[in-house]
Amino acid sequence: MANIDLPKEQDLVEYRVDRILEEANTDTRIVVLGRQDGALDTFPIWVGAAEGNAIKLALDTMITPRPMSHDLIKSFAEHLNITIQRVVITDVKSSTYYATVYVANKGVERTIDARPSDAISLALRAPCPIYITQDVLKRRSTTNLDAWLAKLDSKHIGTPEVQET
Amino acid sequence: MRQDDQRLLAAESRKGSGFVVIAQMQVKGLMFDPSNNTYIVVLRDDEHSDMLPIWVGKSEAGAISMALENITPPRPMTHDFMKSLLDAYDAKVISVVITDLLEHTYYAKIHLMYDDSEYTVDARPSDALAIAIRSNAPIFANESVITKQSSDELQQWLENLKPEDFGKLDS
Repeated sequence: MANIDLPKEQDLVEYRVDRILEEANTDTRIVVLGRQDGALDTFPIWVGAAEGNAIKLALDTMITPRPMSHDLIKSFAEHLNITIQRVVITDVKSSTYYATVYVANKGVERTIDARPSDAISLALRAPCPIYITQDVLKRRSTTNLDAWLAKLDSKHIGTPEVQET
Repeated sequence: MRQDDQRLLAAESRKGSGFVVIAQMQVKGLMFDPSNNTYIVVLRDDEHSDMLPIWVGKSEAGAISMALENITPPRPMTHDFMKSLLDAYDAKVISVVITDLLEHTYYAKIHLMYDDSEYTVDARPSDALAIAIRSNAPIFANESVITKQSSDELQQWLENLKPEDFGKLDS
């Protein structure tokens, strides 16, 4: 995405949502982010089932009969002329990721604290780019990643993506 | 005014020609409906004792429950984020209205005030209620929705419920 004003552009790496995986036997989904520039890296984020489904709906560009919560947020923004500029995964503390949503209205930029699931759900609908800071990429929670990769290697290969409930 | 005229006027008002009869509702409780694994938000018009049950999903019920119980979660939930976005630009939720019931789906409108203008946004009632409670905004229902509901057998069932039956949602 060109021409957007990034305060610390060198610190941000753009990602896209690659897919949503269902973790067996839990109420959990895994949002798998991949590098936008095609470089090999996947960044998994564990989210709740409802949050994962909200992202999946946007990823599949599914039109629901009634607006879902993030459609409503987008609708608020459209009515009030607020532009959702970008979302950034800004921090990780005790295996919890933190995100910030950058919005602007008539040149007034604001940042809003968000869970990554809400930020990503909104980014897909806006649409706007998703970034992860270099700092978070360095400090990413590898425990989860290793466990996830082990599981993926052993039995998740070929598993279909999350089913809609 | 003749009775026929009154009836005509009432019918006209319900078509949404700028004047619709509405009632203010209070959120009376949130119940689990074991028959289909969903939750019921019970709204009540205190003036006329009319009940309006609204079926919602589990995560939607959670969003309403947290607001009702004034729980501040460690991280902002979806409707907390929604509220933050409105707060960031001084936009206010002035009211929400449950407007229609078509094929068991409820429709709602959220009325926003921003920069001296009013905006009306289409929403599901669960989202409308979740943001209204967080904004301390009044909740209304079109009388046509309440009327359609009151013919339901459920009305009686709800009225017979004791306050103890209105359990709190486990969070």
